Amino acid sequence: MAEPVPAEDVADIAETDFGDLVRRHQSMVFSIALHFLADRSAAEELAQDVFLQLHGNLATLKSEEHVKFWLRRVTAHRCIDFKRRRKLPQVSLDDVPELAVPEATTAGQAADPFLGRRLRQLVGSLPEKPRLIMILRFQEELSARDIAAILAMPVATVKSHLQRSLAMLREKITRAVGEVTP
Amino acid sequence: MKPIDDDFKDDLRDDDLRHDELKHALRREPAPEGFAERVLLRVESARLEEERAARTKTDAHDSGLTAFIRTISTRTVFARPFVRWATAVVLAVVVAGAGGEIHYRRVQYENAQRERAEGEAAKQRLMLALRIAGSKLQLARSKVNQINVSQRSGARTDTEN
Repeated sequence: MAEPVPAEDVADIAETDFGDLVRRHQSMVFSIALHFLADRSAAEELAQDVFLQLHGNLATLKSEEHVKFWLRRVTAHRCIDFKRRRKLPQVSLDDVPELAVPEATTAGQAADPFLGRRLRQLVGSLPEKPRLIMILRFQEELSARDIAAILAMPVATVKSHLQRSLAMLREKITRAVGEVTP
Repeated sequence: MKPIDDDFKDDLRDDDLRHDELKHALRREPAPEGFAERVLLRVESARLEEERAARTKTDAHDSGLTAFIRTISTRTVFARPFVRWATAVVLAVVVAGAGGEIHYRRVQYENAQRERAEGEAAKQRLMLALRIAGSKLQLARSKVNQINVSQRSGARTDTEN
């Protein structure tokens, strides 16, 4: 699948300071890896590998948007490879890391930390591709078309994975709420 | 609830699981302290490792014939330009002489081969001629014998009569 390179964004990426490039995108790469692997040290190791690979491929990248697309794609593929190679155990609710920066939701109300951890755990229990789709959709807020381009799969497949994953999450959350409320 | 783009308009239809809650649960997390510096260190260390590997490869290559030639051409009498030129001329003469000698010997060998083949052909022709002459001689001798036999029998008939 062709990589989208906007013609108007033609700043020569080779002239950009690599350190600045890393600082601009480190949170994105690290978070994708963290949400996928649910392991901070593994996520950092993977993110470092991604940036090391980026350094070797800078000459082939044409713009900031191209770099972003490349980083998301390589991180996604490395996450799957890493998981298959290391065979990380399934995470339990207690092992799901609490994120360092708590945020209010966009509606302004306080977020439920238990619900957040429960959702991360449920996302972490999804199969590899649906999990990545959920992360790219809700962390990066990408469209189905963008996710399809990154994961090199048809748009319809992305949509069906997402619908199935959301249905599963909805069912499990409803069941959990039903168990808690008398 | 945040409006959802057309791609996913059917994804979140209930209130039990909201877009904002998922977005919040899967929000971006800041990278660990000093992450960029550690990446830059690894980049630098990878670059140094590549340089070291390239140097090792060059050194290994130099340890063979190249190193020998370099030693000869820089640390002996061959370091002088005149000696180098003289050596080159002598080597060129020797190579040309050897080439000429090889060519001369090859021509001589080819001539000898050709003469030997021609001699062999002449010998074959002579043998054939001798065989033909022998058979003709044999034929003449048998005819003479026949004539002698017929004359002798004619003389005996005359005597009896």
